[in-house]
Amino acid sequence: MEALGLRDDIGDKSAVAAQNSLQLIAFSIGEQTYGVEITTVREIRAWNGATPLPNTREFVRGVINLRGTIVPIFDLRARFGDGQTSPTKNHVVVVMSVGDKWVGILVDAVSDILTVSRDDIHNVPEGNSIDTELLNGIVTHESRMVGLIDLHAVVSGAKMDG
Amino acid sequence: MSDLDDFKATYFDECSELLTELEEQFAAIEAGERDADRLNAVFRAIHSIKGGAGAFGFSALVGFAHAYETLLDYVRDGRIEMSDDVVTLCIRANDIVADHVKAAQTGEALPADYGMDEKERFDALARGDAAAGDDEGGDPLDEFDIEFTPVMVNLDAPEAPAAMAAGEAPVDDAFDSAPMQIEPGHWEVRFTPHRALYARANDPLLLFRELAALGEMHVRAVLEEIPPLSDFEPFAVYCSWEITMISSSLTEAMIREVFEFVEGDCDIAVAQLGSAAVGFDIPPAPEPVVAPPKAAAKPTMSDEPDPADLLALADDEVASLLDFSGDKDVAPEPQFAPEPEPAPVSVQDSFEEPPSLSFAELAETIQPSPIAKPPAPVAVAAAPVRVAPPAAPSEGEESGGNRSVGVQSIRVDLDKVDRVVNMVGELVITQSMLTQQMDETLRARYTELVRGLEVLAQTTRGLQDSVMAIRAQPVKSVFSRMPRLVRELATKTGKKIKLETIGENTEIDKTVIEQLSDPLTHMIRNSADHGIETPDKRLGRGKNETGTIRLSAEQAGGNILIIVEDDGGGINRERVLQVARDKGVVAPDINPTDEQIDQLIFAPGFSTASEVSDISGRGVGMDVVLSNIKKIGGSVHVRSWTGKGTRMTLRLPLTLAVLDVMLVKVGESPYVVPLSSIVETIQCSRASFERVPSGGQVLQVRGEYVQVIDLAQRFEMVTETDPENRFVVLCEAEGSAKVALIVDDIIGQQQVVIKSLEENFERVDGIAGGTILGDGNVALIVDVQGLKTTIVHKNAA
Repeated sequence: MEALGLRDDIGDKSAVAAQNSLQLIAFSIGEQTYGVEITTVREIRAWNGATPLPNTREFVRGVINLRGTIVPIFDLRARFGDGQTSPTKNHVVVVMSVGDKWVGILVDAVSDILTVSRDDIHNVPEGNSIDTELLNGIVTHESRMVGLIDLHAVVSGAKMDG
Repeated sequence: MSDLDDFKATYFDECSELLTELEEQFAAIEAGERDADRLNAVFRAIHSIKGGAGAFGFSALVGFAHAYETLLDYVRDGRIEMSDDVVTLCIRANDIVADHVKAAQTGEALPADYGMDEKERFDALARGDAAAGDDEGGDPLDEFDIEFTPVMVNLDAPEAPAAMAAGEAPVDDAFDSAPMQIEPGHWEVRFTPHRALYARANDPLLLFRELAALGEMHVRAVLEEIPPLSDFEPFAVYCSWEITMISSSLTEAMIREVFEFVEGDCDIAVAQLGSAAVGFDIPPAPEPVVAPPKAAAKPTMSDEPDPADLLALADDEVASLLDFSGDKDVAPEPQFAPEPEPAPVSVQDSFEEPPSLSFAELAETIQPSPIAKPPAPVAVAAAPVRVAPPAAPSEGEESGGNRSVGVQSIRVDLDKVDRVVNMVGELVITQSMLTQQMDETLRARYTELVRGLEVLAQTTRGLQDSVMAIRAQPVKSVFSRMPRLVRELATKTGKKIKLETIGENTEIDKTVIEQLSDPLTHMIRNSADHGIETPDKRLGRGKNETGTIRLSAEQAGGNILIIVEDDGGGINRERVLQVARDKGVVAPDINPTDEQIDQLIFAPGFSTASEVSDISGRGVGMDVVLSNIKKIGGSVHVRSWTGKGTRMTLRLPLTLAVLDVMLVKVGESPYVVPLSSIVETIQCSRASFERVPSGGQVLQVRGEYVQVIDLAQRFEMVTETDPENRFVVLCEAEGSAKVALIVDDIIGQQQVVIKSLEENFERVDGIAGGTILGDGNVALIVDVQGLKTTIVHKNAA
């Protein structure tokens, strides 16, 4: 009976958790940690090269073959204006869905799955314009600051100007 | 509304199939095959078009088709003879029907009197003979209202309600045998709903259920008001109900409470049985009528049944239809007989509505006797060609073979097929990659694996062929549009022209077929306008006064050849060259060969016609042919014999899903160039480059200067290849303008499956798409035309 009660308790908790909290896939670029909502992530794969796309911005690393579909890869470091990543086999591509499109984001490593409360998400402080442009908000998890990536913003503006 | 739009789209799809069939049938009829099968097929096609048109409210189309159908019916009965005049009139009528369909599809308005002359001729023909014909009320055309054409049941309307009542026997008995003396708990309710009740989405069944909860209840539907089918108004309400309630605790207030929410939308009379108010002294409802709107709207649709449902229909002859009716009598709750419950076996599932029984159907199912010959017109609809093998529907299949025709074809969304095609493409690539991985040592060591791979190779190839065959369609669907074109051209030019078609069952990829219509139209116009001479001239030259245009299709290896030939005067080379020189297409000092001159007619803006007619002569015809054909990876060749005729040959790829390409390297990245646009490749060390004053590079090839694009530079790639070791890929862009692409290396030739970049990204300048190579990497497809235009654009800016 006691065990049963305990189980019920857990059930209740997770139900509450589902409503109020957010599960994130956290990944790192250098010292920075970023996160995206876990439901948008389709798959995580090791970097295995990409075919460069001509006449695109430096943060578009090219396209890869994902089981017969061509998926563009965005270099998140370059997107934040920190120069292109020099990827190795240890770098990771996080494939996500943005709207009805699939895109890959090149990051240094995937660190964790975090559960955070929606109430703990703060607005991005004004100041650094690239951060306000690319982040939806920031959240603190175990004293780490996690930037919530705005995928739509990240993948926009891929073409060269002019 | 999107649902309705879907149905409309389906309807127009079917119309185009039906119109194609009409052309086919009349081609045969014109040739003398005037048997009943063909006539029936024509009748059915027109009938189906009309039925759907009625459902969507295309009244002009309905009106015309109806008149046409009347004529056809008389012809079918033998009341009107199928003379050549009638055939000609019918062919003209087909064109008008096609125009009406098109107008309905595009929303354009045709002149109000469009087709009136023909319609009057139909009427005149029909009248002339109808008077003499049997007029004993058996003529189905007199009976069916346009709105109800599809049902085609020789339904004696007044009998229907009676039939229904008969079907309700147990209920009636209960009602009639209800004690008539005053008994405290016996109540009579007469419920006459108005149109508004249904318009507000109220369902009498729910009311009855609520009533039934109050006590024992018997219901009788009053169906006497239902008019003959010809007077039936779909949205009118013809039905009312008499209800007997037996419950000791019942009060009038309780009964009225049930109807509280529909008060004002119906007439309710409540009387205690046996009291002074026995019977129903309420005057008949001001608005007659009953049919719940959902049922009423239905019959119009039943002519466009889903193929799947059709099977059921076609299969079942009268006898089994009667079996159905038996089912229906039993299945619905007997108490609520008139309430159209979804039929247990829906005979007439329309594609528009969930199954519900219309009155027509009720009558049809419950009253078997009048349906002596109904399945004929209904089953008819099963015959439309669909995707079925072209030969199938025409020959004797109709009578016995409806079942098999239906089963043989299904409608599949093209997207779904494309997905399969794509995946099979991947499979082929993976399979070839696996095979390449097998080196000699592996082969020796793993014989089983080798054998398995060989089987896999065979199976994949078979699979690829089968999948491509699904996308393939006979060219007939395009060819069949041409007879009409030729007729019109003949009329406009005053020439006599006969069109022969050969090999119309040759199959090509659907996408190719779609791209074929415009070029063919231009080519045939060209032949009719410029090729074929006037009858006088032809007679003068000792030719038959009727010119012939022959349209043929054949498969030659991996290509399809479409040939348009005419026995006209041939290309006037002197004139062509003269015009070409005048327009600066050919430099004065160059003397092209005959063959080169012939090809000049494809140059943009080129026309030798001294006058611009409304048929051709604006010079935008043949270059459209060339560019359209190139777009789908084909080529055009023309050959002409002076005084004897011209032959134009289109060479088309069998499929677009697989592209023949040359694999090249730019920097470290693989790129592919469509083989169809490559003219030749030259090693850079052997090519003669020249600098133009602006600093740009041009390539000199056989006296021609060609713009040079260094792909590495253009695509901002770093290249370490020795310039001498690089290659020039000479390509031909639209309008035969050439462009020389410089690449770092040529790797080889192969077939690839085209993938879209836009699917997950966006368009990239100079890139037509991507493809996946055997090693799993992505190669980009060079957009030759796009590269050229961006350069031009940059220069202009």
